[in-house]
Amino acid sequence: MSFSRRTAQLLHEDHQATVVVIESLDQLLAKARKKVPDTSDPSVLKTLQAAGSAIEEEVSVHFAFEENELFPRLEEMGDVAIGVHLREEHRALLPLGKSVAEMARAALENGFTDETWTKFRTVAAELIERMFAHIQKEEMALLPTLDDLLDAETDMELSTAYAENH
Amino acid sequence: MSMANSFLGGAQDRLLPASIPFRFFLTAAVFHVLAWAVLLLGAEDVALFRGGTGLTLAAIHLVTLGVLAMTAIGASFQLLPVVTRRPLARDWPTRLCFWLMAPGVFTLTLGMALAGPLLMQAGAGLVCLGLLIFLVLTADNLRRASSIPVVSAHGWLALAAMIGVAMLGFLLILDFELGFLDNHTALAMIHMLLGSFGFMGLLVLGLSLVLIPMFALSRSLPQPLGWVQAGLTTLALAEVAGALLYDNVILLWCSLVAGLSAAGCYLWLMRTALESRMRKRLGLSFVLVRTSWAFLILTLALGAAWIADAGIPNTPALTGFILLFGWLLTFLFGILQRIMPFLASMHAAGKSGLPPLLSDLTPEGPLKVHAVCHFSAIAVCGAGIVWDETLLIQGGAALGLVGATAFLVFAAMVTRKLKRTDKTA
Repeated sequence: MSFSRRTAQLLHEDHQATVVVIESLDQLLAKARKKVPDTSDPSVLKTLQAAGSAIEEEVSVHFAFEENELFPRLEEMGDVAIGVHLREEHRALLPLGKSVAEMARAALENGFTDETWTKFRTVAAELIERMFAHIQKEEMALLPTLDDLLDAETDMELSTAYAENH
Repeated sequence: MSMANSFLGGAQDRLLPASIPFRFFLTAAVFHVLAWAVLLLGAEDVALFRGGTGLTLAAIHLVTLGVLAMTAIGASFQLLPVVTRRPLARDWPTRLCFWLMAPGVFTLTLGMALAGPLLMQAGAGLVCLGLLIFLVLTADNLRRASSIPVVSAHGWLALAAMIGVAMLGFLLILDFELGFLDNHTALAMIHMLLGSFGFMGLLVLGLSLVLIPMFALSRSLPQPLGWVQAGLTTLALAEVAGALLYDNVILLWCSLVAGLSAAGCYLWLMRTALESRMRKRLGLSFVLVRTSWAFLILTLALGAAWIADAGIPNTPALTGFILLFGWLLTFLFGILQRIMPFLASMHAAGKSGLPPLLSDLTPEGPLKVHAVCHFSAIAVCGAGIVWDETLLIQGGAALGLVGATAFLVFAAMVTRKLKRTDKTA
């Protein structure tokens, strides 16, 4: 998917990066199931490293940008429901993302026990499901709306600010 | 693309009350059960069916009007206001449409089963009124859908086909009693082809351009090929109508070539969507969707065998069966099992704490039973039609009945979970 506004394109690239991490987490869960994975395995290591950094980035910087810069503009246009709905999803995703990132970092240091792996699986599975649905809605609804919403000047201002914060 | 601008863009403002789309979906699931049950009862006439009243005609219309049209209407009422970013002015016409369609389909198909002209005429009248409301509301929405011209074009063409189907259907029913048509069989064929490839087929081709990329998280599809797909489908329908009216085999072959080319464009677009998807695991619903694409090609191949008189026994009945139960029903249930929980989650959001998980709203067990029984039913019934074995057709229909019941259980469970969310809000 490509967008005419740079802001939308940057958010889309974020989504692509997040989907890669989430897909990789999904595969880790599907492969290991109840068996505790070996965190020294290169593929497990790579997945946990990505989960420890990228997800937190997505759920903090990305969400904050949308909530502070984009939703208010949509609301000014009279499109209130989109912000309300996506904020509600952010509220569900934020603690899950932080928790998975923390658990991934802890596992990188100490490995998983039966208990920590069970907890990780549960929280990560919920994060994966919610994140896919959320990105699906943003890709199909929010980002194309930005092409209509933002003029060239605002787009440049917002995208520059966003890129600098990243 | 811009279903885009749409799917959530103010979506909640444009979400109809859940009871409206769900009543259409649940009723479609009930008619699905009835369709297989009637096919089971009329199994001995299926393989040699060439038209005329009876249980087979009733089963066909339970599928086309009861399942396919009922679902398409419910989905369109919900999706179009979201796509066009214009809410429906009023809800009541959608409810009136339902209360005309549901008893209309029941009366019409009962009349067909019992060969009762008055019941058929009364049922057809109700159905036509329901379709008229659908036509007005949908046309009003499509008129405002400037951001998705290729999808709108498919919608307009589907509506045009629907008008033709309804008019021909009414004429054919009157002809059962009055016998004034010289070419009843040819018109019945045009009615069937215009209904399945025109009305339903064009809706499937058009909505796929939006729904498949949305579910698979893939990039926008190239619009030019979408236009070619719509043009070729229209050409194929015009050619087949001409061929049947004027008994012209060359035109029949031309229509088949145009139909195959349209299907080729469609499958290329769908392949592009799936190859560029960000979501890798698409689940059971896409097993149904992908298989439905294979059934589309099989239908057209059987059509060629029919025209060429290739010696496959009972080709007309087999082609019609694969077209309706193979392509259209399989695709519809693949999509419906995604749309129902998705809509339920949208309605449930904001009512009771955190948004519900889609998996909590999707009972997997009934869907697995449905998929296994549905595919088995098609295989067994198909074999029964080829060999004209009533017992096989009965076995297949019984499997279909179990699958349809499982899907009804799924639909009822989703609705129940949505109602529970409402209560806890």
